[in-house]
Amino acid sequence: MAGAPRTVRAHDRAHEVEVRIAHFAFDPTWIEILVGDSVIWINNDLAPHTATAKDAAWDTGSIDRGDTRRITFEAPGEHPYFCAFHPHMKGSILVRSRSEG
Amino acid sequence: MKTLALAVVLAATAADSGARAEEPMNDLEIAHAAYTAGGLDIRYAHLALAVSENDAVRDFAQTMIRDHSAVNEAAGALVTELNVTPQDNALSQALVEGAAAKRAKLMTLDGAAFDCAYANNELGYHQLVNKTVAESFIPAVTVAPLKALLEDALVTFRAHEKHAAQMVAGLRCAD
Ligand SMILES: [Cu+2]
Repeated sequence: MAGAPRTVRAHDRAHEVEVRIAHFAFDPTWIEILVGDSVIWINNDLAPHTATAKDAAWDTGSIDRGDTRRITFEAPGEHPYFCAFHPHMKGSILVRSRSEG
Repeated sequence: MKTLALAVVLAATAADSGARAEEPMNDLEIAHAAYTAGGLDIRYAHLALAVSENDAVRDFAQTMIRDHSAVNEAAGALVTELNVTPQDNALSQALVEGAAAKRAKLMTLDGAAFDCAYANNELGYHQLVNKTVAESFIPAVTVAPLKALLEDALVTFRAHEKHAAQMVAGLRCAD
């Protein structure tokens, strides 16, 4: 393989993954990303929502209807979150380190 | 029991006005009643924030203010866009009168008694409003954007109903 042009895998660059908020649910509820990737929440409901880490490590703050918020994840591991306004709304993000492939 | 009494009054009022007019409420009356129902829940919430010291109750009340304000802002924007004026009607008036009586009773309470009365009222109120929106308003409304708004609003109000049921269960009211 030496000397061959380096193959650029999809995950060599940071990605953005969309999570839609509709009907008081995160969709998809569970996502998997790599370190350095971002998640963008889009609120389609009339009511404002948040995506708030269960351990309080991160928080989008209030997302009004039609608005988006982005968070970039640098810490590997499972990141469960909920809506601070409607705590029954739950989701989770699994962040894998890039060396795991 | 009090909630049930209000439900009966409202059902009777809705039936009366329908029978008298021999037609269902029109779009402008429905818009008025839906807006009124949201505004009344905001007033209940402000009362709860003034009286309650329970975190679950206060969080719920704050969510009611936030969400019903958002829904009513969207309704206000739609009314402006359509250049129409919502019409006061018997159901709106019954809602206002029922809520005034309920607020008067709530204001005599404090502590756990208030929290339980507020929580039970929120559950009953959302059950009643949701039934009315789903079974009367949405089928009757003729303007597409208003129907869409009511459907969106119903999603919000149904989440509130679930949230209220959880609040009632969490308070462990003897009732
Ligand atoms: Cu929410």
